Amino acid sequence: DSHTQYERVGADVTMKCGSMDWDAAVTWTANGTDIDESHLNGSYLILKNVDLSQSGQYSCYEGSSWHLKYQTYLRVGTPPKEPVLMCRSNNYPKGFYCSWHLPTPTYIPNTFNISVIHGTKDMVCEKDAIPKNRCHIRYLQLFSTVKYKVTLTVTNALGKNFTTLTFDEFAIVKPDPPESVVAKPVPNNPRRLEVSWQNPSSWPDPESFPLKFFLRYRPLILDQWQHVELSDGTSHTITDAYAGKEYIIQVAAKDNDIGTWSDWSVAVHATPWTEEPKHLTTEAQITETTSTSTSSFMAPPTTKICDKGAVVGSGAMAVCWTAGLVVAAYSVLFI
Amino acid sequence: MAAADSPSAALRRRDLCSRGIRLAGKMRADVVDLLDAYVEQQGLDASASVAAVEGVPLAAVERWDEQTGTQRLLENLAAYRAFRALLAQMLEEQQEQLGEADAGLGRALAALLLQVSAFAYHLEELLQLESRGIPGEEGDGPPPPPRLSLFEQKLRGLGVLRELAQWAVRSVRDLRQLAKPSPAPGAAPGLAESP
Repeated sequence: DSHTQYERVGADVTMKCGSMDWDAAVTWTANGTDIDESHLNGSYLILKNVDLSQSGQYSCYEGSSWHLKYQTYLRVGTPPKEPVLMCRSNNYPKGFYCSWHLPTPTYIPNTFNISVIHGTKDMVCEKDAIPKNRCHIRYLQLFSTVKYKVTLTVTNALGKNFTTLTFDEFAIVKPDPPESVVAKPVPNNPRRLEVSWQNPSSWPDPESFPLKFFLRYRPLILDQWQHVELSDGTSHTITDAYAGKEYIIQVAAKDNDIGTWSDWSVAVHATPWTEEPKHLTTEAQITETTSTSTSSFMAPPTTKICDKGAVVGSGAMAVCWTAGLVVAAYSVLFI
Repeated sequence: MAAADSPSAALRRRDLCSRGIRLAGKMRADVVDLLDAYVEQQGLDASASVAAVEGVPLAAVERWDEQTGTQRLLENLAAYRAFRALLAQMLEEQQEQLGEADAGLGRALAALLLQVSAFAYHLEELLQLESRGIPGEEGDGPPPPPRLSLFEQKLRGLGVLRELAQWAVRSVRDLRQLAKPSPAPGAAPGLAESP
């Protein structure tokens, strides 16, 4: 006859071999392995100060016949500590959800029971299939000043515990972070980055319940963030980026009127537009260029024909000067 | 409702709604500030639960999303008219109890009363635009309630301000619903008659 037995960590456990007398000759096994006689008191098995590793199947056999007389599954665990409970509305005004967990494991099965009261009214929190430690409630009323009281009780074979949360409708509103954040350089603008994003898909009605946004950005090489708050729209152009530096950008959302800011969105990286560095040109290339172009051949101010990194060695200056002279000569020809 | 559907009426409605949203937003910010000052100066506990006070219009509503535009306007108007009377009463009580310390509170209450009156008027304009008759105000209303103790007055004041703060948020939401373009006549809520 087999059953399960739950015991606390550190407890002393005594197992009887079913209906066998104290002085009967028996053999105990733990998970199929014989247990040393030193743990026996007559036919009783004594386990002192049990720990988690002693969980398992314990069986008792009659001495000579090896008939199985008793079997139990020992599960060593702890009573539950006070659970951690959180409630949030990321889909206002539809409803809210509560989720919970235990701060430390009990190592044995637990059942959770949640009750939600609004004033004097009991509400049903429908458990989600996945994840298991979550339930959701639809708002029956909006704009109520009456607080909600949520009590979560956790019970297992060794004890129970509970926690309570009290809050009002507005306080728990926290949208999910904005989605699809994209940051792109702006052509011919070395200090700009164009950022766009979308409302979180869990927010049911952004037209009636608009969100406002908070953008933060910094170059990877610096620790300090720049912040911009935007009361509408789902895009923004950064105009003070450091040229050529890679940026990290994130966006957060909040209902325009109530609640708290979402977590930051997934970070995106972008580098502002930079001019392609021009390589050293040969005489032949310049001739070819000037014969086909109609405008005067003057290098634009940001273009360096002699890029600092492109030429190496002691002959560098001479090479640069030569190229510069050639350009100047042809410019004069075509004025 | 031909008048409501004309382009100029639609524009006017949208304009009134935007202004109303800004008014309600400012009103809410001021109520929240006033609530903090009120709690402190009246020596109340900010987390105290105040039972629903008689005569204070509750912002709480079921099936809010199913309301028609007209319902929204009428409920809002009734509420702000009630708040107008309640704030006037609070101001009167305040002046009776007054010490110097409360002068700022009195001024803030008076400013809020002005905003509430302005908002009520704004709602009347919106109702007129919908060719809706503006409901008359009920004369002097029911007989004044029995005189409350000082502490009861303070608690009721807390209830009034809290409920007004909720209404201010609700009004913003209501006006946003109203500002949405009207669907085809006879269809879902907006400013059409409810089915």
